Amino acid sequence: MYLLELLLVGLVWGCTYAMMALGLTLVYGLLRILHVAQATVFTLGAYVGLLVANHTGSLALAFPAAALSAAALGPLIYRLVYQPMLDKPPYVALVASIGLLIAMEDGFRLLFGPYGLSFTRNTWFTTTYSWAGLSLNVVQISMVIAAVGLLSAFAWFATRTRAGVAWRATVSDPAMAESFGVGVSGVRYQSFFIASALAGVAGVLVGLLNNLVEPGMGAMIGYKGLAIIVLGGLGNVPGTLVASLLLGVIESFGTVYLDKLLDRDAIAFLVLIVILMIRPQGLLGKAH
Amino acid sequence: MDYYLSVATFAALNAILALGLNLISGFCGQVSLGHAAFYGLGAYAAALCAVAGAPIWLSIPVGMLVAGVFGVITGFAALRVREDFLAIVTMGVGFLFLGVVRKQQWLGAEMGIARIPSPLDKWGYALLSIGAAIALLLLSLHIRRSWMGRAFGAVAQDEDAARSVGIDVAGYKITAFLLGTAAAGLAGGIYAHMTQLIVPDAFNFVQSVTILAMVVVGGIGSSWGVVAGAVLLTLMPEMFRFINDYKLLVYGGLLLVVMRFSPGGLAGLVFRLTGRRLA
Amino acid sequence: MMMLEGEALAISFGGVRAVAGVSLAVAPGELVGLIGPNGAGKTTLLRLLTGVLTPDTGRVRFEGRDVTRMPIHRRAQLGFALTHQIVRPFRDMTLLENVMVAAALEVTVHPWRALATVDARAARERSMALLERLGIADAADKSARSVPLGYLKRMQVARALALRPRLLMLDEPLAGLNYTEAARFADLIVELNEGGITIVLVEHNLGEVTRISQRLVVLHNGEVLAKGAPGPVMQRGDVREAYLGTSADAEAAHA
Repeated sequence: MYLLELLLVGLVWGCTYAMMALGLTLVYGLLRILHVAQATVFTLGAYVGLLVANHTGSLALAFPAAALSAAALGPLIYRLVYQPMLDKPPYVALVASIGLLIAMEDGFRLLFGPYGLSFTRNTWFTTTYSWAGLSLNVVQISMVIAAVGLLSAFAWFATRTRAGVAWRATVSDPAMAESFGVGVSGVRYQSFFIASALAGVAGVLVGLLNNLVEPGMGAMIGYKGLAIIVLGGLGNVPGTLVASLLLGVIESFGTVYLDKLLDRDAIAFLVLIVILMIRPQGLLGKAH
Repeated sequence: MDYYLSVATFAALNAILALGLNLISGFCGQVSLGHAAFYGLGAYAAALCAVAGAPIWLSIPVGMLVAGVFGVITGFAALRVREDFLAIVTMGVGFLFLGVVRKQQWLGAEMGIARIPSPLDKWGYALLSIGAAIALLLLSLHIRRSWMGRAFGAVAQDEDAARSVGIDVAGYKITAFLLGTAAAGLAGGIYAHMTQLIVPDAFNFVQSVTILAMVVVGGIGSSWGVVAGAVLLTLMPEMFRFINDYKLLVYGGLLLVVMRFSPGGLAGLVFRLTGRRLA
Repeated sequence: MMMLEGEALAISFGGVRAVAGVSLAVAPGELVGLIGPNGAGKTTLLRLLTGVLTPDTGRVRFEGRDVTRMPIHRRAQLGFALTHQIVRPFRDMTLLENVMVAAALEVTVHPWRALATVDARAARERSMALLERLGIADAADKSARSVPLGYLKRMQVARALALRPRLLMLDEPLAGLNYTEAARFADLIVELNEGGITIVLVEHNLGEVTRISQRLVVLHNGEVLAKGAPGPVMQRGDVREAYLGTSADAEAAHA
């Protein structure tokens, strides 16, 4: 039962990673930018969600508010930071992105104080359900439901709607798509919008999970997100999802069985380095 | 006086770190986000030697050697992955170093290593670190003028073309990693002896980004620019209280602003204003 | 001894046989054209021969020595040079510096020797002479970013020549050049060959390739369809059909 519980907890974390990493892989697929500053978007979502929830007492309002504020910030970052750098060497955007993430960690500290905030009016979410010896709390269950729901909605959008098909065409061949009248610029904004909204929702969920929203909460998830999309084979959506879940589970077991050797955050990168040495193109990436 | 000496020592150590990273990223074009790990490897190796009774002239070279060996291993790993992956792999090397050191009792875990013997006085460390920084600056300037510098440039600009003119791309990349990480090990060894106490967090990702900020602010590829960047970013938090309290905001903001408006850094600005390229 | 031999070379991509057991031999002093319709596998074959790709099966020999798995830079050091289909200059260097990097092969062959050497006079003089020979000395000090394609194509050949090769593999050397430029460049290739360098080229420009080659190898569907002197080869019905296949069918349908 203990092993099963570790597996479940790992899958819950895997879902969080998936919501972060999907956006990163979309942006990478489209622009070849490692958008680590998405962690800033994630943290903003968490703060907005928490403030709305604590003021109104309604989580039903908190989630849309978080998603919208995040979805506003992401495209703004694209417009102000990345767009002017698209013709520069790839490290330029990556370094700028790291700079933004690190600067905003202090930015959040200045805005919301250094110690982090908790949800004060919604304590019911600590309710735990037990079933056949396994126990999960409401947030863990919502995390899985949200991830599966949103990712399915995304899959439906990408494969079944006109906008989604145009969007995928642009990702695979921008010049071709443009000649068919698909606006490349619009597609880029859409991608940042979707990626950021997902990250914002993930931010609130992680805030609820730990009942803590703090300035540095996004950084580690952002860095691991990069490791995940590299593992999945950059720009490869199914690979990214597999890598997310895999990493969640490995971390969950690793924190128990590898505790003497290395800490939780290092596990992701150990896995990354080991797998890349064996498969340099990533888990599901195509050989060059 | 002591205060000025220690600021000068830190400026020199930062210059060594930044010049080392510049060899890897500026000259050879291999972006590394984990440079602090090699700084830490040098510090831990030198500290262990010193605690075991080794004299400073032995402990510091051992630190360089250990950092260099791990640098070469990282270089081999770098050969296996393509450009985009490399930044993430080096970032991973940084987190892996930290994650392992934090859990090792024989390395003091979170508490680090304390009571490291310190055989020199403040003047001694200042002269040692400034001397080492100058030596590394001269080496960098020499490399730039030598055929090694041209070969690094070829590797940085187009690996396939470099191969087709007979350049051993792998060999040059590994050489760059060896030189750059050994330099970081040197800085780490001096740092360990001088402060007598090292903890894992001194070598974390923020430290890696700080070194990168020095390189980028000074102008990636320019040895003089990188030294200027290191000195500037060491002095700024000392002069302005606000900067000391919000280092992340300032360093991160600088990275963002420089990349956005002047990716060539200070050296790029000098070139734009005077038409002269800084070596 | 043959200059270059390919022995039963084969490679597949995702189950598709791009090159299916091709053997060929090039004698010292030859100028051989490798042609075939789009998708025939000629560029893939060239890449197998030059070492850009490693074959699934088969061998490559250079002057009798097995170089199948030898990295490109080692081959360059031995005198087996290549140019890229899309020009690959070192963009932040001048044309002269581009050639100099190749001319200093004896120095750059080892990192530590390169570190110990600053003197660049010999490489500079030899590179300048090569730029003059290729008629682009006027742009020697121009950045590789700022010169037109014709200059870069010539620079790329100068860079390969700086390696003092005995064998030169050219991947579509005439692509992107206009009619006159292509003819002049083709003449230059003949001149180099007459100067003693064995040359193998892949080329789409059939007019020029049949004019300058001593021998053609025609590929079709990853296999050798025909080989021999250009005139007779181009007269063969199966070669014409391979090239004109679809359009001949279309004409027949029209009539």
